[in-house]
Amino acid sequence: MKLLSLVISLTLGFLLLLATADLPDWGDPQSPASIHVSNYYIENSVEQTSVPNFVTSVLADYRGYDTMFETIVIFCAGITVLTILRRSHRQKKKEVRPRPAREGKDLILISAARIIAPMMQIFALYVVAHGHHSPGGGFQGGVILGSSFILLALAYDLETILKRLKERSVIIMSGIGVAIYMGIGMICLFLGGNFLDYSAWSSVLGVSAVEARSHGMLGVEIGVAVTVMYIMFSLYADLSSGGEMDEGL
Amino acid sequence: MLDFIVIVLLSAGILFFFGTINGLLRFPDFYTRMHAAGKGDTLSTVLILLGLALYSFHHPSVQDLLTGYKIIFIAVLIAIASPTATHALMDAGYESGIKPWGGETDSEEEVDK
Repeated sequence: MKLLSLVISLTLGFLLLLATADLPDWGDPQSPASIHVSNYYIENSVEQTSVPNFVTSVLADYRGYDTMFETIVIFCAGITVLTILRRSHRQKKKEVRPRPAREGKDLILISAARIIAPMMQIFALYVVAHGHHSPGGGFQGGVILGSSFILLALAYDLETILKRLKERSVIIMSGIGVAIYMGIGMICLFLGGNFLDYSAWSSVLGVSAVEARSHGMLGVEIGVAVTVMYIMFSLYADLSSGGEMDEGL
Repeated sequence: MLDFIVIVLLSAGILFFFGTINGLLRFPDFYTRMHAAGKGDTLSTVLILLGLALYSFHHPSVQDLLTGYKIIFIAVLIAIASPTATHALMDAGYESGIKPWGGETDSEEEVDK
């Protein structure tokens, strides 16, 4: 059986390596991507979407469908970890591990975390909102937001944070992030555009179609940030407590 | 004048970095090494960042001032975060029962653990 899988993976690997010979060279200016698609984005994205950072406009507008499923992939990853690791207290009598007596009471760590966490959260909101103009956006801002809560969970203990950020609401909110993204796309349908064609929002928002695409991207980025943030925290809470959700690292 | 201050700050930062590395490599046990890393690393990083921030004030424009303030913000963050991280490492070492160096040994074999 092992031999068979070795043969299969070697054959597949060989075929894939063979196929790479047909791919254009790295950075080849004559490759199809460089001739048609890139030039179109570089020349037209500011006129069409009024977003100076055309990485963002490609990510959230031209290829919004792709990014929507990336968000769903992150959501699925969080839910999968939850499904595999999460145990209820009834199923298993847990062994009591020895814990340091001062856990979650270290004044220096708590004070530093209380200073740093709000700064991180403000910065994360800036990253989310400034993705139109500079590197950043929903994924990065969401990760910073989520890690600010992880920092608090490390300085205090997991129980303290779970009182504020309930497990149920974490899961619901991570779903709501995906729903924000898909909802913005769906409303475009009802307003007479295509799915994820944000220019349809112009009649509702009272701005031009170009501006509406920019605003639609911001809304989508917020949805991505919400999902990423809650999934990050959910992953930490599951992995650090082994699915018990009672004590962290 | 500003250049002179920048050069002094950067040189002092590099000097303190040298001391940090020296202490990190040569000190006898975990606690003293962390002591060198926590203090020297923080001070030298902050000094170098302050030097860079001052350098960006060289030709005052809004863009450069903004860059300088961002660098100072990073310096403040490091000044808070780095000693805290050192403290957490020290605390974890103490909790897991690492014995501090007694000062009695001189031989190379025992030191290089």
